[in-house]
Amino acid sequence: MPKYGMVIDLDKCTSCQACVTACKVENNVQIVSEDDAQNGRAMFWMKMLTMEFDGDYPNIRPKTLPRNCMQCDEPSCIKVCPVRATYLRDDGIVAQIYPQCIGCRYCMANCPYTVKVFNWDRQEQPAEVERTYNPDVSVRPKGIVEKCTFCIHRLQTASEKAKAEHRDLEPGDYVPACVEVCPVDAISFGDLDDRKSEVLKASRDYRAFGLLEELGTVPKVRYLNAKE
Amino acid sequence: MKKLLILLAIAVGFSAGVFVVNRAVSREEKVVQPIDFSHALHAGKYRIPCMACHQRVMMGARASIPNIEVCGACHSTPMKKTPGELLVYRYVSRHRQIPWYSIYHVPDYVYFSHRRHVAIGKLDCKDCHGDMASLNSPPTTQFLQIKTQNCWNCHEKHNVTTDCSHCHR
Repeated sequence: MPKYGMVIDLDKCTSCQACVTACKVENNVQIVSEDDAQNGRAMFWMKMLTMEFDGDYPNIRPKTLPRNCMQCDEPSCIKVCPVRATYLRDDGIVAQIYPQCIGCRYCMANCPYTVKVFNWDRQEQPAEVERTYNPDVSVRPKGIVEKCTFCIHRLQTASEKAKAEHRDLEPGDYVPACVEVCPVDAISFGDLDDRKSEVLKASRDYRAFGLLEELGTVPKVRYLNAKE
Repeated sequence: MKKLLILLAIAVGFSAGVFVVNRAVSREEKVVQPIDFSHALHAGKYRIPCMACHQRVMMGARASIPNIEVCGACHSTPMKKTPGELLVYRYVSRHRQIPWYSIYHVPDYVYFSHRRHVAIGKLDCKDCHGDMASLNSPPTTQFLQIKTQNCWNCHEKHNVTTDCSHCHR
């Protein structure tokens, strides 16, 4: 059984936010109104957190940190879910089952990374967005908690295709949308149990660190930063 | 004015209630297809395999309802000139798709794949769709109703995964 993980190289990242856009489009994440966004209800599964600004004006360059679900090995969100709508899969992905969710938001309160988002309302989306919904992902109704699932719908179809072709899942078969779209290959993704995988090599780099590791959540999304 | 408001509230409540009930029983709703297609004739008498017409069964998630190109492969000229066949021929000759109604609807949060069940799981079409080869007219209701419990029963019976995220998304 593989164990999926991700390593994001902050030294390579140019803060272009292609991953943010790709994630939003791939997963039909709702675009909220301006008022809601100002109230902190903007919905992003992958979000850019500004860490610092390099250089002086006008040659300023923000240093950002793309933050998606950490897919913890010891997730704190699953421990409080009363209906098992979120749980840890055998392959290390923390799944979120939307029809099972009752919207109590305990998981949101318990997530130290605040990666989960709640559908406060179902707003009318721009016609262009509705036309280009991804048919592989459901459109979540009002009152449901959602989060990054490492594009689990891609895993479902990739593993099915591999099985139909009587072979094992190969490293390039399944990659989330953010990894696929990154123009500078700053995000590597793969099986952490595979000794030859690039992601394992990167996660053992001397620059590697995890967010809030001291909490014992064992995040499977790790970062590389030379300044750390 | 107050009474009117109360009445209005009751009326809205009733209509909402009816709406919910209608939606819940839509699985049993009877559907009338535009052509009285006989599976008994095609799959029964002439022994045409299901996949000859539902061509994407082994390839993708959806089995695909045949379009007029598939029908036209045999019916480009009328064979027996029965009223039903002439109707098909009219659609084929005018290059117009037959507006079949889809009976089986899977919600968008469920990933149901025919390839997974037929090509990989080696299930027979009969297991979910019943003995179609004995039907003289198109089915009007779902044979095996699309309910989580029905999926679950079969998954447990065949000892395949019951992990939620294998099908939900």
